[in-house]
Amino acid sequence: MRDLPLDHPGTADSRTPWSFLRWVLKGQWDSVAVAMVFGVIWMTCSAVVPAVIGKAIDAGVTGRDSGELWKWSAILFGVGVIQSASGIMRHRYAVLNWLTSAYRVVQLVTRQATHLGATLSKRVATGEVVAIGTNDLSHIGNAMDVLARAMGALVSFVVVAVILLQTSVTLGLVVLIGVPVLLLLLGPLLKPLQQRNLEQRDMMGHLSNIATDIVSGLRVLRGIGGERIFHDRYRTESQKVRQAGNAVARLQSVLDALQVFLPGVFVVVVVWLGARFAVQDKISPGELVAFYGYAAFLVLPLRTATEAANKWIRAHVSARRIVKVLALQPEIEDPRLAADAPAPDSELVDVRSGLRIRPGVLTAVVSEPAGDAAEVVDRLGRFAEGDVIWGGVRLDTLPRALVRERIVVSDTSAILFAGRLADQLAGIRAADPDRDERLARALHAAATSDVLEALPEGLDTLVAEKGRSFSGGQRQRLILARALARDPEVLILVESTSAVDAHTEARIAERLVGNRAGRTTVVTTSSPLMLSRADVVVFLEGGRVVAEGRHADLLTSSPAYRAVVTREEAEDVEEVAR
Amino acid sequence: MSKQTYNRRELAAEVERRKQARINGDRESLPVADQAEVKRYLKHLLRRHPRAIGIALGLHVLAAVAGLAAPRLLGGLVQDVHDGTTVGHVDRIALVLAVFLLAQTVLTRYARLRSQVFGEQVLAELREDFVGNALALPIGVVESAGSGDLLTRTSRDVDQLGWSVRWAIPEWLIATVTAIVTLIGAVLVGWWVLIPCLLGVPPLVIALRWYLARAKDGYLWEGETYSVINASLTETVEGARTVEALGLQQSRIDQVDDDIAESFRAERYTLGLRTVFFPTVETAYLIPTVATLLFGGWLYLHGHASLADVTAATLYVQALIDPVDRVISIMDELQVGSASLARLLGVAKVPEDRVATGRQPIDEKIDAAEVRFSYTEGRDVLHGIDLSVGIGERIAMVGPSGAGKSTLGRLLAGIHPPRTGSVTVGEVGLTELPLAELRGHVALVTQEHHVFVGTLRDNLALAVDEEAGDDRLLAALDSVDAGDWTRALPHGLNTVVGSGGLDLSPAQAQQLALARLVLADPHTLVLDEATSLIDPRAARHLERSLAAVLEGRTVIAIAHRLFSAHDADRVAVVEDGRISEFGSHHELVQAGGSYADLWSSWHQ
Repeated sequence: MRDLPLDHPGTADSRTPWSFLRWVLKGQWDSVAVAMVFGVIWMTCSAVVPAVIGKAIDAGVTGRDSGELWKWSAILFGVGVIQSASGIMRHRYAVLNWLTSAYRVVQLVTRQATHLGATLSKRVATGEVVAIGTNDLSHIGNAMDVLARAMGALVSFVVVAVILLQTSVTLGLVVLIGVPVLLLLLGPLLKPLQQRNLEQRDMMGHLSNIATDIVSGLRVLRGIGGERIFHDRYRTESQKVRQAGNAVARLQSVLDALQVFLPGVFVVVVVWLGARFAVQDKISPGELVAFYGYAAFLVLPLRTATEAANKWIRAHVSARRIVKVLALQPEIEDPRLAADAPAPDSELVDVRSGLRIRPGVLTAVVSEPAGDAAEVVDRLGRFAEGDVIWGGVRLDTLPRALVRERIVVSDTSAILFAGRLADQLAGIRAADPDRDERLARALHAAATSDVLEALPEGLDTLVAEKGRSFSGGQRQRLILARALARDPEVLILVESTSAVDAHTEARIAERLVGNRAGRTTVVTTSSPLMLSRADVVVFLEGGRVVAEGRHADLLTSSPAYRAVVTREEAEDVEEVAR
Repeated sequence: MSKQTYNRRELAAEVERRKQARINGDRESLPVADQAEVKRYLKHLLRRHPRAIGIALGLHVLAAVAGLAAPRLLGGLVQDVHDGTTVGHVDRIALVLAVFLLAQTVLTRYARLRSQVFGEQVLAELREDFVGNALALPIGVVESAGSGDLLTRTSRDVDQLGWSVRWAIPEWLIATVTAIVTLIGAVLVGWWVLIPCLLGVPPLVIALRWYLARAKDGYLWEGETYSVINASLTETVEGARTVEALGLQQSRIDQVDDDIAESFRAERYTLGLRTVFFPTVETAYLIPTVATLLFGGWLYLHGHASLADVTAATLYVQALIDPVDRVISIMDELQVGSASLARLLGVAKVPEDRVATGRQPIDEKIDAAEVRFSYTEGRDVLHGIDLSVGIGERIAMVGPSGAGKSTLGRLLAGIHPPRTGSVTVGEVGLTELPLAELRGHVALVTQEHHVFVGTLRDNLALAVDEEAGDDRLLAALDSVDAGDWTRALPHGLNTVVGSGGLDLSPAQAQQLALARLVLADPHTLVLDEATSLIDPRAARHLERSLAAVLEGRTVIAIAHRLFSAHDADRVAVVEDGRISEFGSHHELVQAGGSYADLWSSWHQ
């Protein structure tokens, strides 16, 4: 069996959904072919079982020949054994086919997400991409999985057709035409059933959303005593789901009954015609039994064919979503001709705002309105296009990777990833001998000691998805530590202590200075605790630099600045004075 | 199989290791009902609906009986044809066959309908009971178990049980009934049919026992690996900007590839189980068919059985395969379903942390005396707190993270009982009051900005017991400055918010929480950094408008923004689980303690 995951998912043909499916199929054609061979053997064995039983009854029982009876019973057993052996082999290869394609889709999407980076959330809803990993992968997998059975169904249908027509043309035609017609008859009922099913599933999804609300909302509910009303509302929704379920049941039960009725009608007709032929000695009693068996068997390959068609249609829909994501390109492109990298410790200048970041010092940026600072940061970190000159070189003439390496931005959208805390904050130790020391310094600067103390396994603790187990303030400090641990040439921090209490913020501001001594650091903030520690504070109004200096000086020289950072309005000043 | 990378023993050891980890990891988690309790619950359930069950089961039996006609009649036909008969007789038999088919169809329809409707009813009862129990859980228990446990129960276990009740249990019942009835039909042809059938039983039982002992843990492991893949992919997608900013591309790719490798290991394990199980079971089905043919043929040759008997018996034994196979393949599904049920029922086993004594508060005064509290035994986070809050007084609590401010706030709001000491309102302990009554006295709003799935109206109405008119809801929104944006929404109060609905900003969510507080109308409010997520400048504005609402109420505000502290009547500085400084803003600034230090660095 091939080892999964593949080292490389390869480069997908993402021109159209069909070309994508073809590409997936081509990548695993060998295992698909093997599965098909076993599928054909397996279904053909099922198909000939009625014939063998018929022969045993004809030649052995009615013929009163115990030798023949033994012979045909042995053949029946042999066919059964081959059937089950080929069946399990088909299953093994079908599972392999499912896994190969599904895993490959996940690998492709992961690689594409890392390739797109910041562009991803601007171009496509993240939920849509995540859905590929939760839903679409199974649809692609199912399409590959069903191929073996579909091929088996096709071949076994032909085998049975040949046997039937050889025995009796009339009966053969009744069976061969009757079975597809019968399946078509079930078709019209399926649509409304699917519709009702879908409605119920939506409601169930909604209900389950309400229930999961308990988990995150229980504290909130307990705070205001909303438990009973919440329960009433849940009960109402739950009863709606029940009613929808009853509506499904009314239709579903008819379908279930028809699944008994339609093949049954068919069996009755075959038995009736067969018995008439048998009375007229056109066929033997054993053949009559065999016809009964075929009539029952043929429903299987036809159902498989319908299933295969449905699965490929769904896979096509999924492929369309996948192709859409795979075709996206990152917004920020690498320049065709890369300029020479600027020397270390060069000045970074945002032309539009007039902001100059001097090397080796801690610059704090305050802006009015507050959102402007983030825009400037996007330009400085080259997450958005803009005129930025770094040591005389335009930032957009440098390779993206080089900029990311030397200028690190940690903003409010930063998330913590699941995994061992130390690895998530500072990378794997084996790759970097100085890691532990840098990490310890960063953790100290971000004032995380209380967070770590509360963790039973300290830095070895496994972080939950997106750091969910930490409070907002704890998460923010860990994210800050992660940025500091990278120790980049230029570090840009956006509102990185906004969720931290004043005591801790004061401590972080003090330690940040020591941690980044001699390195270029930019913080956007409006907290006096942080601003008072900065080497230089730049005040932006309407996206332009209007004042620059030490915090204490700006407080006296710029009333607008004072208003922003102390959040005082005239009346408060009076109040304090009182 | 070209490359045997993993051997079966190694994988089995892995499954065992995980099972142990699950058991050990459960030590802190919510309780799980044991087998006896699950059985008792099921019995109770059956007794509650004897009629519904009786009717559904009866219909299924009748439908199965009607289905027995075809092999029997066909066997007779084969005999008659062999003996020589007329076309007229054939026609009559075909007609009888058709009548039985019709009967089977109609019976099947109603049997299925009845059991599905019953299933929906049982399921609704189960989930509503569960949600009721979950809502009564003490917060401390949920927190020490981690939210993951409860989340798994409310989402995966409820879904799994729905699947079991809606599909697995009815299918299993139908298959069992059909198998039994078919077997009876076969035996009615002749007792001798039992002998070939019994031949298939030993391999079937052995294979099934072997498989069931392993399948559940194997599939649980498999399911977990897909959750892990999803979680990693979700993080990578949602954190794509972080990935780019910090150059984490390769580490994310490696992470997902590792998760896939783990998933493949689990898939290999369950595939290995099936590779043993499926062929064994199929052989077990084959043996009775071949044996019936041989044995029946032998009996016929010696004149002990008719041709009709042999044919009918062979067809019956073949017809047994399908229902028996369904019974077997649904078994592991039922196993998983019953494990889910055990977890859902387990929630009801958590003891309550509050006992209503019926005592009534004499006034609205909140007092805490000698309060000590610990989340885990032996590690107190509050060390003897005394706090007496005057009626209508505004107290601000400040202090570093982890000092115990929030914990104290929760005790003052009656969320937890203190370990020792007392927290009272009008001399009655807060946890002596029933929840509904307590919230008329004290309410708590925290920095958790949770928006409930539903309409804006639903979100607000949580705080009011009786039907609240739109005017009242809108007035509450106005009082927290949220009137403008809520009125501007296209559907107003009917706008669907929460997961899957309109995405509210943290600030808007917090305004909703505050509006609920206004609606709940308690005399005392505990605000735990309730305005921290609102833009500081907007928060200032919001607090101003809230001030009108807070007027006349007792307010205990936990704040990390100092500007909210200096407006308070008194400020309590909480450090290391103790109140280290307590007094008005001016007193504390003059006292020159840690509050004064902080204030001066803030204010320069």
